[in-house]
Amino acid sequence: MSRLKGFITQLFASADSLEASSDESLLARYREGDGRAFEILYARRRQSLYRFLLGLSGKPELADEVFQETWLSLIRSASQPQGRATFRTWLFQIARNRLIDHWRKHGAWQPLHDSYDEQFHAVSDDASDPEQLLNLSRDSQRLESALQSLPADQREVFLLRAHGDLDLAQIASLTETPLETVKSRLRYAQQKLRRLLAEEVLT
Amino acid sequence: MTDTRPTSEEQVLKHVREQHNAEPPAHLDALILNAAHRETPAPRQNLWQRWLKACQKPRYQVAFASLVGIALMLSLVQRAPEPVAQFDFAPAAKPAAPGVRQEARSLSAPAGALSAPAPAPMAEMAAPMQSESISADTADEAKVSKRAAAPVNGLDAQLREVLRLRESGQSQAADTLFNNLHKRYPNVNLDLRLEKIRKN
Repeated sequence: MSRLKGFITQLFASADSLEASSDESLLARYREGDGRAFEILYARRRQSLYRFLLGLSGKPELADEVFQETWLSLIRSASQPQGRATFRTWLFQIARNRLIDHWRKHGAWQPLHDSYDEQFHAVSDDASDPEQLLNLSRDSQRLESALQSLPADQREVFLLRAHGDLDLAQIASLTETPLETVKSRLRYAQQKLRRLLAEEVLT
Repeated sequence: MTDTRPTSEEQVLKHVREQHNAEPPAHLDALILNAAHRETPAPRQNLWQRWLKACQKPRYQVAFASLVGIALMLSLVQRAPEPVAQFDFAPAAKPAAPGVRQEARSLSAPAGALSAPAPAPMAEMAAPMQSESISADTADEAKVSKRAAAPVNGLDAQLREVLRLRESGQSQAADTLFNNLHKRYPNVNLDLRLEKIRKN
């Protein structure tokens, strides 16, 4: 019955309704043979995933490689997000795992697996003047170096929040980290970035 | 009144979203989209299309034909030929015969529906041989023409049903059936015939 309903819906679906579909239904439609659904899905998520990977890896070549692998594995597999996972968390999870695999394969240091003491790295932030926030550096090079100066696990949480637009619970689930830890990582990352970017402008 | 200004943390997030504007290279876009098109799964066929496709394959055709053949054979074998009641001497029995048999079955049903099933159609079909030997012995039935063989066979079957009912302890149902037979076949010596069937 649901299959019949799906068939009828698909028959009368217009391009507008495809655009308005959720990520999950677009993926499901692609799995059923609708190539246009993938184009929309890709256009919707390509930027955020790429920026996350670039920010996390800090290397454009590596970001390109993992970005490509992530989408190709999604195309070639028949799997779907399981349980309550959304397409976004699933996609970022695949990308994150691929990046960790890459680091592991090349014997590189795995910053995301390194235990990290937020308290130790936290710097007290007294610059809470809202006016100062307007002077955050707009130089992309500076922004990039500020991001890279963050500890990797703080950077990861910040990027998942900023580019993945995931909420804290989703980030906690994706990184398999307690929610409170995720909250503190995000807070420290934001404080440090604000300080670094503001300092850059002031100097 | 609530303060709608974003917090400093939110401003950092917003700032990074706006300023961090890296894009995936165009060649990667092309590669991924090409791969997606190339590997788009074939559209799923609906039930009707799958059925038609299956019908075109010889092995499925053979299977379907075999199934149809078996179904036809079973329907022919299972089908019980209704005895046509044509009496030279009792024309009224024609419409009544199936009804009485049903009545007899319904009488026996509550007590022995599971333990004593109704006579099988094959048994009714086999009856002509016996009835002919009986009719050769009795004077009354010697008058019955060959055309009357079918109703006589039906009578034998019902007499056997009477015997069966008596043996299974349903004497009331047996008596009712026997009385009905008396009414329907007034010219036949049912007691004698019943006795002969019992001996056989």
